[in-house]
Amino acid sequence: MAPGLIRYVARRAGSAAVLVLVVSSAALILSRAAPPADAFGTDPAVLAADRHRLGLDRPLPEQYLAWLWRAARLDFGESLHFHRPVSALIRERAGNTALLGLSALLVATLLGLPMGILTGSRRNGPAVAATRTLSVALLSVPPLIMSLLLLLLAARTGWLPAGGLPDIPPDAGWTGSVLTTMRYLVLPTLALGLPMAASIERIQSDAIRTALAEPCMAAAAARGVPAHRIVWRHALRLSLGPVLAIYGIIIGAALSGSFAVEVVLSWSGLGQLMYQALQARDTYLATGCAAAGAVCLAIGIFVTDVAAALLDPRLERAV
Amino acid sequence: MTRLSRGALGLATAALTLLVAAPTPHTAGQQFADFSYAPPMRPRVIDAEGHWRWPFIYPLRLVDRIEHRFVEDRTRPVSLRWWRDGAVLSADSPEGPWLPLGGDPLGRDVFSRLLKGARLSLGVSAVAAAGALLLGTVLGALAGFHGGRLDRILMRAADFVLVLPAIYVVIVLRATLPLVLSTAQIFWTLTAVLALAGWPQPARGVRAIVRSERRQEYAEAAVASGAGWWRILHRHLLPATAGFLRVQVSLLLPAFILAEATLSFVGFGFAEPTPSWGVMLQDAAQAGVILEAPWLAAPALAIALCVFAVHSALGRAYPGPPSHVRDKTS
Amino acid sequence: MARTVRTLLICLGLAALAGGYLLIRRPMSPTADHAAGPAAGDPPLRGGTLTVSLRSEPGTYNRLIDQSAAGELLSLLTQAPLVRVNRVTDTLEPWLAESWTTTDAGRTYMLRLRQGITFPDGTPFTSADVAFSFAALYDPRVNAVLAHDTYAGGKPLTIETPDPFTVVVRLAVPVAAGLRLIDSVPMLPKHRLQAALDAGTFRDAWAVASGVKGISGLGPFELTGHSAGQRMIFARNPRYWRRDASGSALPYLDTLTVVVLGDQNAEALQMQQGALDAMVNGEIRPEDVVAFRRLAAQGSLRLVEAGVSLDPNLLWFNLSPSRRADPRDAWLRHRSFRQGVSCAIDRDAVVNTVHLGAAVPIYGPVTPGNKTWYSGGRPACTYDAARARALFAEAGLTDRTGDGMLEDAAGAPARFSIVTHQGHTVRQRTVSVLQEQLRLAGLTVDVTGLDPGALFERWSRADYDAIYFGVQASATDPALNPQFWLSSGNFHFWNPRQPSPSTEWEGRLDDLFRQQAGATSLPARQRLMADAERILLEELPAIYFVAPKVTLATSTRVRNARPAPQIPQLLWAADTLAAVR
Repeated sequence: MAPGLIRYVARRAGSAAVLVLVVSSAALILSRAAPPADAFGTDPAVLAADRHRLGLDRPLPEQYLAWLWRAARLDFGESLHFHRPVSALIRERAGNTALLGLSALLVATLLGLPMGILTGSRRNGPAVAATRTLSVALLSVPPLIMSLLLLLLAARTGWLPAGGLPDIPPDAGWTGSVLTTMRYLVLPTLALGLPMAASIERIQSDAIRTALAEPCMAAAAARGVPAHRIVWRHALRLSLGPVLAIYGIIIGAALSGSFAVEVVLSWSGLGQLMYQALQARDTYLATGCAAAGAVCLAIGIFVTDVAAALLDPRLERAV
Repeated sequence: MTRLSRGALGLATAALTLLVAAPTPHTAGQQFADFSYAPPMRPRVIDAEGHWRWPFIYPLRLVDRIEHRFVEDRTRPVSLRWWRDGAVLSADSPEGPWLPLGGDPLGRDVFSRLLKGARLSLGVSAVAAAGALLLGTVLGALAGFHGGRLDRILMRAADFVLVLPAIYVVIVLRATLPLVLSTAQIFWTLTAVLALAGWPQPARGVRAIVRSERRQEYAEAAVASGAGWWRILHRHLLPATAGFLRVQVSLLLPAFILAEATLSFVGFGFAEPTPSWGVMLQDAAQAGVILEAPWLAAPALAIALCVFAVHSALGRAYPGPPSHVRDKTS
Repeated sequence: MARTVRTLLICLGLAALAGGYLLIRRPMSPTADHAAGPAAGDPPLRGGTLTVSLRSEPGTYNRLIDQSAAGELLSLLTQAPLVRVNRVTDTLEPWLAESWTTTDAGRTYMLRLRQGITFPDGTPFTSADVAFSFAALYDPRVNAVLAHDTYAGGKPLTIETPDPFTVVVRLAVPVAAGLRLIDSVPMLPKHRLQAALDAGTFRDAWAVASGVKGISGLGPFELTGHSAGQRMIFARNPRYWRRDASGSALPYLDTLTVVVLGDQNAEALQMQQGALDAMVNGEIRPEDVVAFRRLAAQGSLRLVEAGVSLDPNLLWFNLSPSRRADPRDAWLRHRSFRQGVSCAIDRDAVVNTVHLGAAVPIYGPVTPGNKTWYSGGRPACTYDAARARALFAEAGLTDRTGDGMLEDAAGAPARFSIVTHQGHTVRQRTVSVLQEQLRLAGLTVDVTGLDPGALFERWSRADYDAIYFGVQASATDPALNPQFWLSSGNFHFWNPRQPSPSTEWEGRLDDLFRQQAGATSLPARQRLMADAERILLEELPAIYFVAPKVTLATSTRVRNARPAPQIPQLLWAADTLAAVR
């Protein structure tokens, strides 16, 4: 690896770390609303003891430093609402969100890229017109609305489970559990993935168009290279750089979007956990969720930055 | 802008104006105890005997409350009336109200709430979009024009806001505010929060355009002739960003409409009984309910339509591939 | 010939199918109390497994310090009390104690323990375990949540153990509830917990973090697995002592899986999709009834009417002296104001919109579902808009600006906020109806939805105007609910834990309640409680509106369901619950 690239990667890693730190610190400070209690009717003395044990009665700066020190060791404190370590809760839920996010990303890519290539490389025709309309339509139905519509569809037809996490009995076989999970995954994946597919279509379409406008493409066309070969071999490769760069942002969109999808379709992932934490005024849990979200995002941005730099060496100098 | 999208824009604006300004048949909070989950009452022109007549409705009669079954009373058609009590169309009979889009779980008129909700939901998004554009343009122009340290700081900040998981930040922000806020307070809080979350994208674009335009000869000439920076910006550089800003509106407006809906939906925006579209969607988000009363999802449709209208009217046109690419590539 | 045979066979097959279908669809009678055990001719019930859902999780496996619904369920499944209240017949049944006698005018009970009962590890259960359990219950270092409910005349019970199978329980004063006081006290294994109690670490014993291995009880099931956030698995306790009428060992079920589903929508969905056999805190929300009825008509699940709920929601105003002074206190704490609020609400509208008709209007804390104790008392005004305005005027609220809304003496608008349970559709919708009806009466109400934890936190800081909420009480007998009635109680919602009654009427309430607890004849107690209720209806510190009619759903696999009106409606009798395999 070139030293320039290493420096670039180090710098990106540094900014990712700053992002994580700032988001989670801000969340801790902001969500330090009054922490809640145990069950209704518990003796206030018991509650005070609980809060003391969790360190919630100390002044904010001290609490913040303690939290940072423990966070550095991946210990995010204990959730007041669930009576469990925040890190365990997040680990549990992050898996679900990652599953949903990755499958949605997969669906979005598999749908969006070909659509983008089509609309970017052809001028008109029924297929192009149809794809463009579809893309605008999908873009108009964001995850919140899409999950409501799919919920309606599923409830009407009964084809698919209308939300919820698959409850896989511990003794279920491997194929059985995969199939059940897939059935439950269809609805949230579509709700999250379809609008994302439309965004990818737009970006891919632009990128292909820009790539085709390069002089070398015109030259290739002049040499008599067949058009489909130009598009699929040369322009596609050139266009992937900018598309890849946008994946970092899309991961952020997936996180934000999955929030609505998880709440509507009862998919218990990070978004739903964050929602529950804020409803319960559960300081440490909300902070942990925000930190986890920031980590996902930072990793996403970092990976795409590095991938883009590897694809296009000009970047490392530009930034 | 193509003729088609101009037409769509006109249509959308007209529809929105009508939607926002039209007096509602009922107040948004009025509860009709016998009309919980009442189905939409569709205006008709052909009566049970097959005769044409002035638009009318059949009033509903409650048959089974818990299964929310209603029957139309075919013996007593009620004619629609124009302009009565401030409502464009009304058809209230002694048997009960006219609910064009059905009743919600508390027996309130979904149609009236949808209209009232449009004012809030679209109002917040429009004002926030304007705010984000203004903020973004000013900051972007400052950064692009002056460059240097100011530019670096502003763009760092923009980059940072851009990559924040927006919804988490907005929710955490809202959670810190007092619990009881009046509708007006919520309106301006949401607007401010959304504008603050939305400015970086336009700022970055405006900065890039201003930067490249500033190096053009006419700008250099203006600087040389001693024009003030504000004048140069305002007269020469900013007009170049108009096209870009139009596209930004088409991105921000739908995003904000959705953000309001999501926030209110999860309980961090407007609150019952204020009828914003997100609040109304809370009722629709249960599989059991949406199956029995799909009309409760009307705000979802309204949001999708608004977003679609904005996209097709203001959105980026597809320029198509460069001319050397032939069609029918197969 | 062959064709005739085939037709005959098909007919037979169809008849068998129809018969089987009818058998499965045979409706359950909600009130019938079957004797434990299969009726003659039924297939054997033993074996099989059921899956039920629970909305929360236990914070600890230690029942003495866990007041949650999950803690109570865990205790019902894995532990056993000395005597048990049968929640269907509302009678006291011998449990670990097989018989008892009363002497000393109800001050002394002598209990005879069953012999041959062993803990799952084989250690025999004796009176030493009883003495230990009560010692832990009353130990100040344990600070048990159950302790206050098991006082007689404000004093702990004393336990003596003359021999390994005899226990003498002494009460400071005779109480009418008698041994019902100890229905919720589980008998704990002394050999496992003595060390922790001695060391003062009893509160940390049986923590969820230390796993399910160490816990042990005398209940029908053992907790064999708990994956946090997902499920708890209960397996048959092979040493469970109880047998059914035909002599076969209980429980019938091999395993019981409790799935943790925090989200009410997800729970209802899974129930409808057949993934669950029952919901622990079981009632169906009004808006889901249609979907459930349809499924019941198709035969894919069964609905059981469990009668009118015993635990109504209530609206209470903040009467605590520790509340920050507020200019609105002049009217907000005025009795006429509360009477006006109660009078301004059309309870039938709440019944019809929020509960879609499946509820009854109520005015006091005891609902018609509580057959023994319902007195039918009503406040002076039940629903009368004009009377409500007059009452508000008595509190100093009149329409001074002529806009239809009321203002106080200083001209400030009559405005207050109600905090309620975010995400609980019935509570939220009820408050929406209250809000609209109070608006018509001239009051402006702000509604705030909060998670129960955050709501409780505001309540304990007395930082609220009014709260609409509800808590479960597992007992029907008001004598077992002193926390609500006494001014010193934790659940004396409007002003809890008063050192001494702060108002004259609360003093009278305390007196009546104490007299009632000491009286022994049921009619006398009922009369005293009706008097106490009359004070509440006059003062209205808490306002009641409706009590829902509870509908439960079970899958068609569930057998022997004996639904009680209290939560957990089915699992209170988990040992006789059975499943079709």
